[in-house]
Amino acid sequence: MLSRLFNLPRQWFAAWLARRLPPVQSIRLQQRHIFIVPTLAGMAYSGALLLMLLVAINYQNSLAYALTFLLASLGLLSMFHTWRNLAGLTVSASGSTPCFAGEYGSYRLRLHSGKADYQAIAVGWHAKQLTLVDVAHHSEQCVELSLLGRRRGWQQSPRLRVETRFPLGLFVAWSQVDLAQSILVYPQPLPDVVVAATGQGDEADSEQTSVVAGVDDYQGLTAWQAGDSLRRIHWKAWSKGQGLLIKQFTEQQGQLQVLDFQQMPGDVEFRLSVLCAQVLKISQTDQPYCLLLPSQQIGPDLGPEHRQRCLRALALYGVGIS
Amino acid sequence: MSAVRAAARLGDDIPRISLMWLLIAQALVIIPHLLHVPVWLIGLWLLCAVWRVQVFRMRWSFPNGWMKATLMLGSGFAVYLSRGGLVGLDAAVALLITAFILKLLEVRNRRDALVLIFLGFFTVVTSYLFADSLLAALYSLLPVIALLSALLGLQQSRFATQPLATLKLASRLFAQAIPLMVLLFVLFPRLDPLWSLPQPKDKGTTGLSSSMTPGDLAALGQSSALAFRARFEGAIPAPTQLYWRALTLPNFDGRSWSISERFEARQPEWQAQGESISYSIIMQPSTQPWLFSLDVGSSEQADIRLMSDFRLQRRTPVNRTYQYQATSWPQALRQPQLSQAQQYEFLQLPRDGNPQTREWAQTLRGQYNEDDALVAALLRHFNQQPYHYTLKPPLLGRDSVDEFLFSSLRGFCAHYAGAMVFTLRAAGIPSRVVAGYQGGEINQVGQFVQVRQFDAHAWVEYWQSGQGWRSVDPTFQVAPERIERGLQNALEDEADLFQGGFLSPLRYQNIAWINQLRLSWENLNHRWQTQILGYQRDNQQAWLKQWFGEVDWQALGLLLVASAGLIIALIVLWMFKPWQRQTDPVQRVLTDFQRLLRRRGFNRYSGEGLRSFYQRIHLSLSEQQQQALSAFIEIYEQQQYAEQGSDLAGLRRALAQVKKSC
Repeated sequence: MLSRLFNLPRQWFAAWLARRLPPVQSIRLQQRHIFIVPTLAGMAYSGALLLMLLVAINYQNSLAYALTFLLASLGLLSMFHTWRNLAGLTVSASGSTPCFAGEYGSYRLRLHSGKADYQAIAVGWHAKQLTLVDVAHHSEQCVELSLLGRRRGWQQSPRLRVETRFPLGLFVAWSQVDLAQSILVYPQPLPDVVVAATGQGDEADSEQTSVVAGVDDYQGLTAWQAGDSLRRIHWKAWSKGQGLLIKQFTEQQGQLQVLDFQQMPGDVEFRLSVLCAQVLKISQTDQPYCLLLPSQQIGPDLGPEHRQRCLRALALYGVGIS
Repeated sequence: MSAVRAAARLGDDIPRISLMWLLIAQALVIIPHLLHVPVWLIGLWLLCAVWRVQVFRMRWSFPNGWMKATLMLGSGFAVYLSRGGLVGLDAAVALLITAFILKLLEVRNRRDALVLIFLGFFTVVTSYLFADSLLAALYSLLPVIALLSALLGLQQSRFATQPLATLKLASRLFAQAIPLMVLLFVLFPRLDPLWSLPQPKDKGTTGLSSSMTPGDLAALGQSSALAFRARFEGAIPAPTQLYWRALTLPNFDGRSWSISERFEARQPEWQAQGESISYSIIMQPSTQPWLFSLDVGSSEQADIRLMSDFRLQRRTPVNRTYQYQATSWPQALRQPQLSQAQQYEFLQLPRDGNPQTREWAQTLRGQYNEDDALVAALLRHFNQQPYHYTLKPPLLGRDSVDEFLFSSLRGFCAHYAGAMVFTLRAAGIPSRVVAGYQGGEINQVGQFVQVRQFDAHAWVEYWQSGQGWRSVDPTFQVAPERIERGLQNALEDEADLFQGGFLSPLRYQNIAWINQLRLSWENLNHRWQTQILGYQRDNQQAWLKQWFGEVDWQALGLLLVASAGLIIALIVLWMFKPWQRQTDPVQRVLTDFQRLLRRRGFNRYSGEGLRSFYQRIHLSLSEQQQQALSAFIEIYEQQQYAEQGSDLAGLRRALAQVKKSC
């Protein structure tokens, strides 16, 4: 009850922030986006100034007065400099790389300046873990941040903290922007669980069987495409200058691996994790495979695109369409 | 389009630039303190600086707890030994600097560095307590800017690797802060000290002391240190009028003249006559309470009183530069009546010694009935006999007055004044030696008189019933040029004695332009002292009155806030230059483009990329429009992101196409 009470201000703040900084792909930081507060160092600084003022008063020393006032003016003006060091900076989302649950995916953003130079801009998810970049005038900086994938599916990135303490560190100007970005999180693969993928007719979790077994039924050559195994490249043809060709084997169709959701033990998440591990494992071989989910079938096919499709389907199973 | 740069993590360790500036700043902060802190602190600093640099280079490691404790206790004890205690400003500052140095060995992260920088600023403030000259103030800009650079470097990212760029930035910030500082300096109300604090110790200041052996003033005569400066409200009186009284020395023990313990704060009886002279004096620290004034001086300042021997005295010793106003009546009648006891005091002589002088005094008394005639005869004697004015008098024996008057005939002003008072007293005329300064250098640039230690002088006052005290100067009879043109002219053949050596500008007084330069510099110092250092409560109120009329604290606060706001607004305006916002021609073309589309009903959201804007609206455009728009966007993006040479003309052409299509 009490903790909920304590959380109330935070919720209000979040709601207020959402109104003030709605999700956008790209934002040019302006007056209403930037907040500025003195830092701990700033407070210590004013304490030191107070001490100097006391010395000036008690010793009636004009120079001590002058230095105190100089530092006070500097501190005050540094507030505007700090604010200036964030104002006008454009922050845009620039895509993300998917990851498996429990691992870190990367999240790219671009900082883009206009006329002004920006120094020591700190970006990150938490105030304690920030990355510093400088953005010179009329230039762009890319920053890659890592984000922990917690649960499979689309994971909304938290608000991004953009802050700066430059030049004197007495004030911190910050903004929390929502770049409306999500990162795709695949299920956590569980490779140690030995569950056989059901081949058609026999058990086949060993890659050798399929490849070796199909050698006799050599069908012909087709053009190499990205994702085809290097092992099946017809090197002789390549050395004759005929380009990259691969040998095709009809038998492989018969060795099709089927990864069937229904055949898996355990609950939904467990099944998805196991399937994920198997997709990863099989995709390292040259075997075609297909993924059977209750609502859809993917494949049979092979190659990185197919793998991606499978992983995506696993990630998004039951969470609605992408 | 852009390379992903390995971004520096906002670590907690100190950037190289910051550490470098920190070390430089520390040296600069400590240097002015070297005059008054124990010498071994230099060694300690070198040790700590080398240690810290080696730690940075990963050669050595930070000292462990035991080492730190040993260093701390050891240095504390060393301060205790070399300062004879831990109380007092000197010891406190020595401790502060020790802490400032030792802290260097502890600086691991940003927070430690901040502590060190703040300590540095505070140490600069304490240096002002020991030296507040114009040069010291100018010098202190160096450590302040270096400390600022260190503070700035602490916030910079790893990509900043140019120490000079950091310095430049710090200087720019510094320059921007100056207008606001001046405003605060002028308008911030000056308060009286809240509590009393230990003052800087006397650094062996030279000056008059409370007793005078004839050789003493001759020693002072070799010091060119500044004693005080005086600025007159009217014309500057002739040098022969400038007898600056400091003390009277009525007691004679056979060798030296000293002050009387019986002088009271009771105002002596006197009547103002003739014209008065008003002036203000800024005196250098003398560690003594007595002030300098022309006869008969009076001051309205609450802490100054006129003592019974007509000297002005402050309630507390003058330990820092002190400024006061005084008015003098040179022709005043001073103490026309003295009681028998008082007269007796100014007649006392040691029981024996100097028989020849006593005898001569009796002879004179026999010749001249009138006191004035006797004094005149005495002065004539000094004038006509072959007396010689010198800073190198021979050493005198037990009957010093006899030896001086009848055999050596060589002496400094103190010899003449002492011998004359002795003779007058032996002849029964109440008299006393007055010590002070005579003349001074008139600075034509700044219209003030500058009095140095070598202007120290002693002269004679004798008393007559009804007439009161009268001043006479036997030295004037011997060496009138001393009074008229100053000591240096009187002693040209002894010029070597003046302190300062080859580098002292005083030495080159004969070269006109050097002398002019020196006078201008001294005038600058004078203004510095009156207008900057002397800008305390009284001066501030006078200044405010002059400019704003009667100002109470409330109005002052309002004025301060309003003008500070104005200055800040101007600086911020200059920082952001809003009038330049649209001067980027590419941006201007983009604005035109957006305005054009807005008229067609297509609004670009704030923060929406041009591409996504186009994606959103392209279905409702004709094919021609689509082509024109995407052509424009492509050229624009090339301009913005590809860092190509600007193709403004191409962009304008594309805009024209868009216009045509719409």
